Amino acid sequence: MQIIGPDFLVFGVDDVPACHDFLTAYGLDPVGYSPEKGGRYIALDGTGLEIRRRDDPSLPPALKTGNMLRLQVIGVVDEAALSAVEVELSRDRQVLRLADGTLRTQDDQGFELAFQVSIRKPLDLPGEKVNAPYAPGRPVNAVGVTQDMPAKPRTLSHVVLFTPDIDTAVGFYRDRLGFRITDTLTGAGPFLRPQANPDHHTHFFIRTPPYMQGVEHLAFHLGGPTELMLAGSRMMEQGFESFWGPGRHKFGSNWFWYFKSPLGCNVEFDADMDTHDDTWAPREAPMGPEASQAFLLQWRAKWAPGGGPPGGPKG
Amino acid sequence: MLCHLADLDDGEARGFEVPGLKAKVIVVRREGRVHGWRDLCPHYAGGTPMAWKRDAYLNGARTHLACHAHGAWFDIETGACVQGPCLGKRLTRVPLRLDKDGGIHLDR
Ligand code: FES
Ligand SMILES: [Fe+2]
Repeated sequence: MQIIGPDFLVFGVDDVPACHDFLTAYGLDPVGYSPEKGGRYIALDGTGLEIRRRDDPSLPPALKTGNMLRLQVIGVVDEAALSAVEVELSRDRQVLRLADGTLRTQDDQGFELAFQVSIRKPLDLPGEKVNAPYAPGRPVNAVGVTQDMPAKPRTLSHVVLFTPDIDTAVGFYRDRLGFRITDTLTGAGPFLRPQANPDHHTHFFIRTPPYMQGVEHLAFHLGGPTELMLAGSRMMEQGFESFWGPGRHKFGSNWFWYFKSPLGCNVEFDADMDTHDDTWAPREAPMGPEASQAFLLQWRAKWAPGGGPPGGPKG
Repeated sequence: MLCHLADLDDGEARGFEVPGLKAKVIVVRREGRVHGWRDLCPHYAGGTPMAWKRDAYLNGARTHLACHAHGAWFDIETGACVQGPCLGKRLTRVPLRLDKDGGIHLDR
């Protein structure tokens, strides 16, 4: 199955203006926003989030847990790939073809899904370049950082789901949709990548009781670790609250920085994730602090020697 | 003193750093009464702070205290989780004392 990954995630929320404040500070561009109806929040390649009111009648039904995720819109490479998904899933469930060509269905645990020919527009933007001894990454005279350089989400990277039944989730995403398991955190669950995307993961499942079912976090890719550090620091300076990070994960090697949000889930900045193909041999490690990161840091307000007492949050 | 009653509208919550405490104290005013809770979501052992922005502790409908990591909702009066990852758990109460001028203090 030639699936690329999530194009859009749709939420039904209680406080639309709060989500607008958060997502615009996070760096997504609002489209069609109104405080009454919500709007779409777009990354540079056209992927993004859609925020609606919880009681918006156009939304698919809510999860019983109160979680605000209402729909994952998954992009595939072309019409043929879309038909392949339709044929496969129609074997055992209702799959609707909407007027715009989108498919609508549910996975085996009641997460609402849509499939479409991906709307993402490939970006012609360089990634972060690093100068190392005898291995310059940047042209001579090109500076590595400026205070006001752009640090915007480039593409929707991945979604992490609290999932009551991992076997059922794997049975659907791996066995029906052809996702590959790249690695597994034992005690939590597997990382998966779809066949038409080399990224280490577009989905990760965490085993939880049924009353937690929903989205645990979502993440957008930035252009590199410097952009991630700048984007997160700008959030901190504006009073947004970090949940975890900055740091660098082991599985996937991606830099991470998670922020709590009015979407009822964490929203992560992500950069420099590993890519894989089918020759990759999946790893496994027990879930815990050691397996979750190579290192973990904590943000502080700017300080310099001679500049007064160190600032920043405690603990 | 954490703050003055006059600085806290009914239905409003604020977080205060307290020297010696590793987590902030949330002060929330509701129907004329003032409640104190530690800013520690009980989802994960040890607890983690709950606001999505400074002082943003309430859910969107402003009916509950909420942890904005994964959307747990807590009853403002009892601290009990009513929805989300912390069902069966509760917030830790911080006893407060109101002085005769409306000052809100830790009761310790
Ligand atoms: S950390 Fe608070 S709900 Fe998960
Ligand atoms: Fe992530």
